[in-house]
Amino acid sequence: MAEALAPRFEHYEPSVIPSAALAAAVHLVLLAILVFGVRWQSRPPESVMVELWQPPAPVVEAPRVEPPASAPEPKPEPRVEPPKPDIAVKAPPPPKAVAKPEPKPRPEAKPKPPAPPREDVQKRLREELAREQLALNVERERQSIKEQLQREQTSASAKAQADYIARIRVKIHGNIVMPPDIKGNPEAIFDVVQLPNGEVLSVKLRKSSGHRGYDEGVERAILKSSPLPKADAGLFNRQLELKFRPLDK
Amino acid sequence: MTVTQDLEIWTLVANASLVVKLVMVLLLAVSFMSWLFIFNKLFAIRTAREQTDKFEREFWSGNDLNALYQGAVNNRHSIGSQERIFEAGFREYTKLRSQRGTDVTTMVDGARRAMRATYQREMDHLERHLAFLASTGSVSPYVGLFGTVWGIMHAFRGLANVQQATLAQVAPGIAEALVATAIGLFAAIPAVVAYNRYSHDIDRLAIRFESFMEEFSNILQRQAVR
Repeated sequence: MAEALAPRFEHYEPSVIPSAALAAAVHLVLLAILVFGVRWQSRPPESVMVELWQPPAPVVEAPRVEPPASAPEPKPEPRVEPPKPDIAVKAPPPPKAVAKPEPKPRPEAKPKPPAPPREDVQKRLREELAREQLALNVERERQSIKEQLQREQTSASAKAQADYIARIRVKIHGNIVMPPDIKGNPEAIFDVVQLPNGEVLSVKLRKSSGHRGYDEGVERAILKSSPLPKADAGLFNRQLELKFRPLDK
Repeated sequence: MTVTQDLEIWTLVANASLVVKLVMVLLLAVSFMSWLFIFNKLFAIRTAREQTDKFEREFWSGNDLNALYQGAVNNRHSIGSQERIFEAGFREYTKLRSQRGTDVTTMVDGARRAMRATYQREMDHLERHLAFLASTGSVSPYVGLFGTVWGIMHAFRGLANVQQATLAQVAPGIAEALVATAIGLFAAIPAVVAYNRYSHDIDRLAIRFESFMEEFSNILQRQAVR
């Protein structure tokens, strides 16, 4: 029996184009919401943080002129601070500068008195000179006393500085784990950068002791000792140069 | 240390690693396809329902079956599923009737088998692409999650190389990784909703077809006995 072929209908199929257009539209809408609807910008609150830790050092230490210039940009400051010992050295010169101008006005005064007298000029000149000399001597003495005082002060601050370094070294020493096979007493020098609260920012080996185990032990000890002991006012130094020897102390 | 991260969506996508980018592209393609099918099926199901409504109205308005059949044969490319079922059943019935000696049960059974076959074919056609929506809904969140995990691994590996770890160093990496999950969810949620909706609609259509088949069989049986 010749059965007619099974009916093959063409099924109704909605056209793809409108669907594709709608799908694209949906994605475009989502994209628009993502791009314009969400605030993707994040605000930087950290800029405040940087200004917080940088300025204290200049306020305490930095010479008069620098702070205003360094205020906007905190980075240059650390370079300004390190030569603090220099302040002690710089301080003495001003008195000298003050002392020199003082003697000069008197020599200038000399020419005026000599004018009126005629025969006793030499006598008077001599007396005058003697007086000058005396005054100068007194001045010099005063100056030397001042200098001595200054020297004592600087030596005191140097002593405090040394004391501070010693405290840091003691703390670090306590944390050093000595490698057993170290020979001799080689010196290792480290550059340490610290924050005003004593937190160690970075440790750099400047001169190796020649024994890697010891170098690494000291580096670990420095990091472990963070925060370092606090400096007395005016003694804080951002960059420290610390020397270690295995047989120290 | 103070890095202001400019979290623009483009930079996020552009900075992502290759795997994450691939995942994003894949998910976008899947999302587009699933939306395409969502709209396509929406139109298809709506049309099928309208056609069924129209045919049922015609059928139950008491028209002559032969006239209905002729109309269905003439427009066979534009008729709906239910009309096709009717057409197949009625054709089989008239064929069997034209042969002598066929009893009533054979005629009705033959017509019912023909309708059942057409019904299966129509259902198969209506349910096309639904499987794609179902698997999009279940799989694309995982694909997105994979992209995210990969991106976060990447971000944390970068963090391990830094001495001073801050949140700002991982945050962009994690954000860009999370974009993958977002795209995955964007593809999955509509697909799941559409799948549930459409399978429910198709089930209702199937019930209408099946009850029509039963009723039409009864009508045919009555005609055959006469």
